[in-house]
Amino acid sequence: MTNKKIFGVFDDEDNLVSTIRTIRDKGIKISDVVSPYPIHEVFDELKLKTKIPVAAFFYGIFGLLATFGFLYWTSVINYPLVFGGKPQNTLSFVIVIFIMVINITIVLTIVTFFLREKKGPGAKPSIEYPGITDDKYLIVIDVVSDTDVNSVNELLKSGGAIEVTEQ
Amino acid sequence: MYNKKVRGVLIQGNKTHGQITEEILAPQERKAPSWWFIAMFISSLAMAMGLWAIYTTISQGIGTWGVNNSIGWGWGIINFVWWIGIGHAGTAFSIFLLILRQKWRTSINRAAEAMTVVAVLCAGLFPLLHMGRIWMGIFVFPYPNSRGPLWVNFNSPLFWDVVAISTYLMASATFWYIGMIPDLATVRDRAKSKIKKTIYGLMSFGWVGTARSWLRFETAAMIIGGLAAPLVIAVHSIVSMDFATSVMAGWHTTVFPPYFVIGAIFSGFAMVLTLMIIIRKVYKFQDFVTQGHLDAITRILTFISLIMGTAYTTEIFIAWYSGMEGEIYTFFHNRISGDHTKAFWTMITCNAIIPQFFWFKKIRKNLTLVFIISIIINIGMWFERYVIVVTSLSKDYLPANWAAYSPTIVEVGTYVGTLGLFGIGVLLFLRYIPMMAMSELKMILKGTSIITNTKENDK
Repeated sequence: MTNKKIFGVFDDEDNLVSTIRTIRDKGIKISDVVSPYPIHEVFDELKLKTKIPVAAFFYGIFGLLATFGFLYWTSVINYPLVFGGKPQNTLSFVIVIFIMVINITIVLTIVTFFLREKKGPGAKPSIEYPGITDDKYLIVIDVVSDTDVNSVNELLKSGGAIEVTEQ
Repeated sequence: MYNKKVRGVLIQGNKTHGQITEEILAPQERKAPSWWFIAMFISSLAMAMGLWAIYTTISQGIGTWGVNNSIGWGWGIINFVWWIGIGHAGTAFSIFLLILRQKWRTSINRAAEAMTVVAVLCAGLFPLLHMGRIWMGIFVFPYPNSRGPLWVNFNSPLFWDVVAISTYLMASATFWYIGMIPDLATVRDRAKSKIKKTIYGLMSFGWVGTARSWLRFETAAMIIGGLAAPLVIAVHSIVSMDFATSVMAGWHTTVFPPYFVIGAIFSGFAMVLTLMIIIRKVYKFQDFVTQGHLDAITRILTFISLIMGTAYTTEIFIAWYSGMEGEIYTFFHNRISGDHTKAFWTMITCNAIIPQFFWFKKIRKNLTLVFIISIIINIGMWFERYVIVVTSLSKDYLPANWAAYSPTIVEVGTYVGTLGLFGIGVLLFLRYIPMMAMSELKMILKGTSIITNTKENDK
């Protein structure tokens, strides 16, 4: 098992998407596609899915329970202060709960995003190639023992790659 | 998918993706122009005055302000609400328009969000200063304490404000920063000096832009956006409840939450307009911020101005219709006529009447006029808060309590100081951060702006 990678460099979105399609139809595994902006066709072609929305939903439920729990504990159990004969477990908790659900969900979603992406201050870019954050697109294919490097190169070239390199 | 005819071309000049990067980053890769240093110097002077005012307030107390027992909320709260309102622009722009999938937001959202973050910082200063003993500021947070433990009052709008404003600052700052990561990576990859590369390398969190990252990035942005949209509405509703849950005449009206939210978006959009016209002019970004973009903002302002006018009229009508003497007095003898006539009619003229000139295409196309009107709206929105805070408090139900109010130099100083802080924040943003969301501009480029596809590959 080598750690070699083939980079197919493109400068046009349409060529990129059509090449991804042909390569995938040939049964060759694409390890990554790099682009300077999100391309939805690429997500569809690579059949990428993310569970972040599901996670966010549960964070929201957690936020709801945690905030209500805290308000109930402080206002009813820990220090039940009577003011104006109003109920201690009041409806006005809704407002603090509403804001805190948003707060907790946003914070935890961001934390999840960075953990899943393994990104943070000081993280090194996993792929470096000039122009990938500017106007170039990359198809990255891992070279494994049974990969026919030449045919992959050929596929990339015929798809409109302006350059094919190995790293 | 996208109908070009509705909005026209969003990015003019038939640009390539590379050109977008080039042109947006060009101002930062050049040396800072002399006007930048001059503006920075003026802002710093203003900020210095603010620091002096803050020092005076903290060392000597609220006695240095013009507020008194009757008018306990003076410029401090007026400016707080004003800044928060301006701060709603970024969210209104990037989040509402993101959720509505409006593509014309892309060249404006970054600047609007940056403005939001700075404006909310400015806003947050005022309640802190207004506490008088600022070192006891932590008391507003519910933490296990040695007082019983006595918790904060979870039913008080003032506490809701603390929760809402701090959540809003956190949410808008993170939304802004996360949206910026791909562009910071672009700066990192283009940086030539080692220091710049290291700093932007740290700031860009090792971003590459793989398909999986982009998918997660977009999903996370959409979730944060979706959550921040109700948050904006909640924040300003809560700010309005600081007033609306009281028993003051002119304050305890049910129209306050929507009226404040709309007012906030009104002043926010006006400030975005002011800023974008300046950025467009100074950095020659006419291709990115087109007449069409500015036209869209002015149209929104016209509509919101109508809502503002309706809200003002409704308030007056309901005051009369309620038959309650206090309300009638406040609206008819203390606002429309009486001691605060000037402030009231300035508010009406600036917010409900002058923006109606935007109905005329000629005025919408004349950027000097648009610029002037956008500033007039901001002045008008300041006076709206002045009218609300001061008129109601100055003459309450007991004539023995009636008082006049004029700000002292210390109060004016804090306000000038926040203007300086805002100026410094915006100038730093213009200098060191990509002014427009390049990755988003590139994303919409093909669908909205390339007229002939053949030209794009000519390189």
